[in-house]
Amino acid sequence: MARLLIIEDNTRLAKRIAEGLDQRGYRCDHVASLADADAALGTDMFDAMIVDLGLPDGDGLAWLRARPPGGEPPALILTARDGLEDRINGLDAGADDYLVKPFALDELAARLRAMLRRPGRRAGTVLQVGEIFYDSSRRTAHVGGRALDLTRREADLLELLLRQAGQVVRRRAMESALYRFDEAVTPNAIEASVSRLRRKLDEAGAHGQLHTVRGVGYLLKDVP
Amino acid sequence: MKRQESILGRLMRSLALVSATGLFLLLVFIWVEYQISILHFADLARLRRSAYELLEHIGLPMVLLAIPTVLAGRWAIRRGVQPLEEAAARINAASGEARGVRVDASTLPVETVPFADAVNRLLDRVDRAAAAHEAFAADIAHELRTPLTLLSLELDGLDDPRAEAMRADVAAMRRLIDQLMLLAQIDAEAAAHLPPDDVDLVEVAGDVVARMAPAALADGKVLELRGERAGTIRGRRESVAAALRNLVENALRVTDAGAPVVILADRAAELAVRDGGPGLSAARLHEMTQRLSRADHASANGAGLGLAIVSRIMAAHGGRLAADEGKRELRLIFAKS
Repeated sequence: MARLLIIEDNTRLAKRIAEGLDQRGYRCDHVASLADADAALGTDMFDAMIVDLGLPDGDGLAWLRARPPGGEPPALILTARDGLEDRINGLDAGADDYLVKPFALDELAARLRAMLRRPGRRAGTVLQVGEIFYDSSRRTAHVGGRALDLTRREADLLELLLRQAGQVVRRRAMESALYRFDEAVTPNAIEASVSRLRRKLDEAGAHGQLHTVRGVGYLLKDVP
Repeated sequence: MKRQESILGRLMRSLALVSATGLFLLLVFIWVEYQISILHFADLARLRRSAYELLEHIGLPMVLLAIPTVLAGRWAIRRGVQPLEEAAARINAASGEARGVRVDASTLPVETVPFADAVNRLLDRVDRAAAAHEAFAADIAHELRTPLTLLSLELDGLDDPRAEAMRADVAAMRRLIDQLMLLAQIDAEAAAHLPPDDVDLVEVAGDVVARMAPAALADGKVLELRGERAGTIRGRRESVAAALRNLVENALRVTDAGAPVVILADRAAELAVRDGGPGLSAARLHEMTQRLSRADHASANGAGLGLAIVSRIMAAHGGRLAADEGKRELRLIFAKS
């Protein structure tokens, strides 16, 4: 069970968030200031934290920026600020994601799931979205117990889509992730790999989860 | 109505008055000095000679003096007024949202400096009022977000069938707040005179589609990007993305599930959004983009405000928002760089 730290000065809001995430399988601790957050992070291990930007003892953005690069745990910013450039500033400060108030708990939970799936996080080597399981160290996949027979490229593709489940993976990002610099990428290569992977997923019982966003990329639907 | 007076006209009249008074006084002086009597006028030859002398020694010098005086006066007035005309042109040329427009009093004649200072103080007050107005809108929107979050989270835990309708209301309020914040931002950016960047329109369109596709897909709608010839324009990337996002949001609202919303990037310096709705005439579009100042009763979902914002962003980029009713397209046409 993933453990979360909620840094939010509005106690009622923090309680509602903690309740909602509890029901979705997260264990939440709540602090109301940056000083308390530092103390909590010093004594306990957390898988991720949710940071409100306007806190009584300082600016959450500056606090995040002061963390060592690649800081653990990953942070999701919660903010009432919704400026055109604010999102970029937040991500520049070292946050992993950014959610503007008001939000639905399902959205928050989906973002947290995506964040914990990212490489380098201590979310284990097995990626799971719905019935699809993928073991990234052994590079094997199964859907509801049925093993998938994947080529190397299809396995890479599935891992990429699983890590960003619920989000569109741009075709260009796929090309640079799946092919070496010296490999020529034919325009239809990605498309062909995706359609083969989709057929295998469909046959194994994961129907309609892999979608094409024409002209942009592909999306594996996130299922809690 | 009283005719407005010009400085030059007043100078001419003053000069004429000075000349007439001077002439009269000179004639009186000569009269007294030379003891001219009425008898003088009886002798026509003497009178002619006297008149000739007067003309030569008084009339001619006065005329010779008057011509350069008038010319110099005209020149001095033109030169003196020119900085005022330039200052007025500068104020007129400033765009609607531009801030910090001031009259440079150091280039003006000393006599007009108090007036220029008064104008500057007034411009300063206008700027401050506009900034306060923007900050107020942004503050309200900002302050509303936290209670709205609480409301939405409380609703999440509710199992009542009426909660669904209330969730939709919260979503509509959120959209309205987003729009108000965006509006305040655009004005603030216009005021800050931020330098434009190179904006790759295909890249922006891809980003917007990638961001909006998951939610659209969840509603059973399909987003699609076509073409990659839109190229690069000069502008603010986030504003351009906000404009396109607004159009796509509107398009998704009027398009039935299963039908595609297509973003077109196949024309130079142009992005278009084609939806499955009934299409929008140019006249209706114009009407909807003029709704900024009043409450938008026609569309409860904020579509009117959204289009007004798009239109403002386009204006800030030297472009425009256009409607193609037949193709059911709304087009963002940028200035070609």
